[in-house]
Amino acid sequence: MSSMISAGTTAAGGAIPQHHHVRKGRIVISKVTPAKLWLRSVLAVLVFFTLYGFLTIDTAGADLPASFVQTVRYFWIMFTSPRAVASHFGMSQSAGGFPVFLSAVKVLGITLALAFLSTLTGGVVALVLGLLAARNLTNDRISNTIKGIVAFIRAVPTVLWVLIFAIGAGLGAVAAVIGMSFHTVGHLMKAYSESFEELDEGVIEALRASGAKWPHIIFQAVMPSSITSILSWTFIRFEINFAVAVAMGAAAGAGGIGFNLFMSAGYFFDIREIGYITLMILVVALLMEVIAARLKKHYQPDAL
Amino acid sequence: MPQLHVKNLTKYYKDVLALSDVSFAVEKGDFVGIIGPSGSGKTTLVRCINRLITATGGEICLNNDKNILEMNRSEIRKARTGIGMIFQHYNLVDRLTVIENVLHGRLGYKNTVSGVFGHYTEGEKRKALEVLGLLGLDEHVYRRCDQLSGGQKQRVGIARALVQEPEIILCDEPISSLDPGSSKKIMDYLRKIQSELGITILVNLHQVDVARTYAKRILGFNNGKLVYDGPSELLTTERIQEIYGKEAHELILN
Ligand SMILES: Nc1ncnc2c1ncn2[C@@H]1O[C@H](COP(=O)(O)OP(=O)(O)O)[C@@H](O)[C@H]1O
Ligand SMILES: [Mg+2]
Repeated sequence: MSSMISAGTTAAGGAIPQHHHVRKGRIVISKVTPAKLWLRSVLAVLVFFTLYGFLTIDTAGADLPASFVQTVRYFWIMFTSPRAVASHFGMSQSAGGFPVFLSAVKVLGITLALAFLSTLTGGVVALVLGLLAARNLTNDRISNTIKGIVAFIRAVPTVLWVLIFAIGAGLGAVAAVIGMSFHTVGHLMKAYSESFEELDEGVIEALRASGAKWPHIIFQAVMPSSITSILSWTFIRFEINFAVAVAMGAAAGAGGIGFNLFMSAGYFFDIREIGYITLMILVVALLMEVIAARLKKHYQPDAL
Repeated sequence: MPQLHVKNLTKYYKDVLALSDVSFAVEKGDFVGIIGPSGSGKTTLVRCINRLITATGGEICLNNDKNILEMNRSEIRKARTGIGMIFQHYNLVDRLTVIENVLHGRLGYKNTVSGVFGHYTEGEKRKALEVLGLLGLDEHVYRRCDQLSGGQKQRVGIARALVQEPEIILCDEPISSLDPGSSKKIMDYLRKIQSELGITILVNLHQVDVARTYAKRILGFNNGKLVYDGPSELLTTERIQEIYGKEAHELILN
C-alpha cells in the first residue's frame, strides 16, 4: 500500500512509469478508436456543410436584418390578432365570430376524426399482431416473421403509404386513413409487443401450470400488466396521427383543418387566419397532453 | 396405492441428460423434500410432473390415472388443476391485487369466456378470502402485489395454489429468495397445509437442514440420478456426501 503511494508521488514529480498511458509527455485519458475517428469525421463533414450552406445561401437580394424584423412582425400579427374569414369556413359574410368559430371547430373535428379512425384501426390490428409477435407468447418463427413484415411497414413513411393507397382509393380521406393506419400498425405493433415482452415468463408459466388457457393468460396477466404502456403508446400515436392528419388535409386532400390551413397559407395569404387555425391546433395539442397525463395517473396511481 | 407414481423417468435436453431413469412413489399427504446440488435435475423433475416440461421417457401417474406423458392438451389442463405450484420468484402479476392473483388459481376450471372476463363465482371468491385468512393475509386482500414483501408475495403464491383445491403442491425452491425469518414462516405454512389439509407437498430445497426439519421423506439427486430415497432420519453424513459430493459436505452441514 505505502509503496503504491510513493510511486504515485514520484510519478507526479517526474517520470511516469506506464509508458502506454503517455503521449508527448501528457497522460492520455481516452483512446482513439476507429469508431471515434468515424464519429469525428462525420461531425467535421456536417460542420463543413452547415457553414457552407449558410455562407452560400441564395437570399435573392433580400435585406436580411429587415426580413428578420418583418418575420417577427408577421408572427406577432399572426398570434396576437387571429381571426377567421367566414366564407373560408363555408359561412356567409355576415356570420358572427362565434358561428364561424363553431364551424372551424367542426372542420377541426374532421381532422380529429381522421386521426381517431386511423389510430383505432391501426391500434386494433397492432394489438392482435403484437400478441402474436411477443417473444414470450409465441414461438420464435411466428414472432420473427411478423416483426420482419411490420419493420418493413414502419420503414415506409406515412405519407408514402397514403400516396400508395391513393392509387386505388384516389386522393382523399379514405387513402389518408388507410395509409395512416398502416404506419400506425407498424409503430404500435412494435411498442405493444415490447411491452408484452416485459412480462416475466415465470408469470405466464405459473398460470399455465394451474391449467389456465391461452386466452385467460392474455387477458388476466398480459393485458393488466401492459395496459398502462399500451394506453400511453396509443395516445402518443393519436397525437402523431393528429399532426399527420393536419398535413394530410393539405397534401392528400383528406379535408379537415389542414386543408383550410393550406388554403389560407398558400392561396389567400391570410396571416391572421393562419394564426387562428394554428392556435386552434395548439389548444387541441395541449388538451391531448393534459388528457394523456390524466390517463397515466388514473391507470398507474402509485407509480408516480 | 401411492398417489403419485414416477417410473423410469428420463429427460434429455438435446443431448444433456437431466433426469436418468428416476423411479419413486409418493403417498397421499406426504411431505417430501427434494435435495441435490444445482444442476442435478430437481427443477426438471417437478416440471415434468405437471408437464411444463415433457419428459423424454418413462411414466408419471397421479391416482393411477393416465400417464401424464401420454395426455393430450385438454387432459393435461385438467390434470394441472389438481397440481398446485409454488415458485422461487413467486411469479405473481405485480400490477394486480392480492385477491386477483389468488383467483388466478381458479382459471384452470373456467371456460374461455368466463376466464377471459374474470367472472368468478361467489363461492370461488369466498374460497379465496378463506385461503387468504388461513395465510394471515386478511389485511392485504386489496393491496397491489408489487407493494408486498417477499414473504408476503410467497404467501400469495401459496394462496393461489390452494384455491385450486389441489391434491398435491409442487414447490421449486420456495424460500431461496427469502430471509431466514420469512423462510421459516413459509415452511411452517407448508407444513400446516400438509398436516391440516392433507395435501401432498413436494418441495425442492437447497438447504439440507431445512429439508431434514420439515420433510418426512427425502429424495436426493445427483447428476440426474435419484441417489437417496428414504426417511429424513436416515439421511446420514455419508448419504449427504453421496448426494452433494465429498468436498461439499462441510459447507452444507455448517
Ligand atoms: N431448458 C434447458 N435447456 C437445456 N438444458 C437444461 C434446461 N434446463 C435445465 N437444463 C440442464 O439440465 C440439468 C438439470 O437442471 P435443473 O433441473 O434446473 O437442475 P436443478 O433444479 O437441480 O438445479 C442441468 O444440467 C441443466 O443445465
Ligand atoms: Mg432448480
